[in-house]
Amino acid sequence: MANENSQTAVVVEDLHKSFGQLEVLKGVSLTAREGDVVSMIGASGSGKSTFLRCINLLELPTRGRITVTGEELLLTPGKDGDLHPSDRRQVERVRTKLGMVFQSFNLWQHMTVMQNVIEAPVHVLGLSKKEAIERGEALLNKVGLYEKREQYPAFLSGGQQQRAAIARALCMNPKVMLFDEPTSALDPELVGEVLKVIRDLANEGRTMILVTHEMKFARDVSSHVIYLHQGKVEEEGPPKQVFGAPISERCKQFVSSIH
Amino acid sequence: MNWEWLPHYIPLLIHGLYLTLVLLVSSVVIGGIMAVPIGLVQVTGPWPLKVLAKAFCTFIRGTPLLIQLWLLYYGVGSLFPGIPGIRDSFLWPILREGFYYAVLAFSLSFAGYEGEVMRGAFLGVPRGELEAARAIGMSPWKVLTRVWLPRAVRLVLPTLAGEIVGQLKSTPLAFTVTVMDLMGARAKISSDTYIMYEPLILIAVIYMILTFFITRAFNYLERLVPQRR
Repeated sequence: MANENSQTAVVVEDLHKSFGQLEVLKGVSLTAREGDVVSMIGASGSGKSTFLRCINLLELPTRGRITVTGEELLLTPGKDGDLHPSDRRQVERVRTKLGMVFQSFNLWQHMTVMQNVIEAPVHVLGLSKKEAIERGEALLNKVGLYEKREQYPAFLSGGQQQRAAIARALCMNPKVMLFDEPTSALDPELVGEVLKVIRDLANEGRTMILVTHEMKFARDVSSHVIYLHQGKVEEEGPPKQVFGAPISERCKQFVSSIH
Repeated sequence: MNWEWLPHYIPLLIHGLYLTLVLLVSSVVIGGIMAVPIGLVQVTGPWPLKVLAKAFCTFIRGTPLLIQLWLLYYGVGSLFPGIPGIRDSFLWPILREGFYYAVLAFSLSFAGYEGEVMRGAFLGVPRGELEAARAIGMSPWKVLTRVWLPRAVRLVLPTLAGEIVGQLKSTPLAFTVTVMDLMGARAKISSDTYIMYEPLILIAVIYMILTFFITRAFNYLERLVPQRR
């Protein structure tokens, strides 16, 4: 990995997840150090989104350990077979360190762009409104949406909404950004503007875990690539290896079919 | 047409209008507040509350408001005088007044209808927006008060005007339990003067004007939050 000596940001060990009889994750591990950009690729249904959603417990894992910035999430097995958080407040605190960007943007439709961006900094972190707005203005500038700050999400294009959602996540000053197929719901001509924002973040040294179908992009920005197949890590390593000279036959096929 | 009676009864009519508005506003506010938990527990559980809320809504929506009002006034209301000493208690002025039974019945009725509407509204808020709220670190209470409820209320807003107008037009039932609202004032005028139609026409026009204002107010409210449909 690129930054062997830096602190670990996210460590996931032996993560399992079943939906009823169906086991979607069969023991997946991941280590992201500070400054890493870890991309997860794989066919639809390979479990990569589920894996990402387990990191901040939007999805409850069946087995495994999750550690965020050195703090292990306290989990206890529940009657339904999943692991449940033992301490709700710990989960809420850890989530503030994990900025999540969704495939479908999920902006709050009853708030303007600026209100979306400052909502959690004010009401979760307890920042003053003034401070949050300063932060928000800087971030909206950065993603090129300053002029749209008083607009409601419904009046923005998909690309603009996704950039606003990225600003919303960044405004929490998260340690790690989680991207769940951030461009999959976009019209092709809008993909570029979102990828550019994500690329800028990568260049700044932001720690990111990125689930994506954009192979070329993953190859460019990642420090580490994980190829998932049917809930298992089939191949992983630096992008050069995974895309250029994969050991696994399946990975070779997958990578070449996408190119 | 004969309108000679009108000047003499204007104070009575104004008081009637006042009572009608108090009935409307108090029942919409009380019922509206009750509707939030009634709608919410039907979506989130726990199941005993869910069953209770569902049963309440089914009863309210399945029976005529007039019967609910009379059940409270003649049923529950008639039990109180049997309690020893109650006529001397500070509660008695409330317990013998038809007005308070009307407020209660109308509030419960509004809560029943709106509880069902709120259930649908809570369900109608996109899952992803709630997920985003959780993912950013909000507690369940914050998710509810900052995202889920305000979002649900905005979904309801376009239908709320109609519901409130409906509620307005239920208020004349209060007249059957001795409340001197607009309808009660009209009855008094008719029995004093033996004039039937003119007072009826007058209060019909007043109800229509009230409806007009309610509709306008909600049009304005809706425009505060632009939504693309």
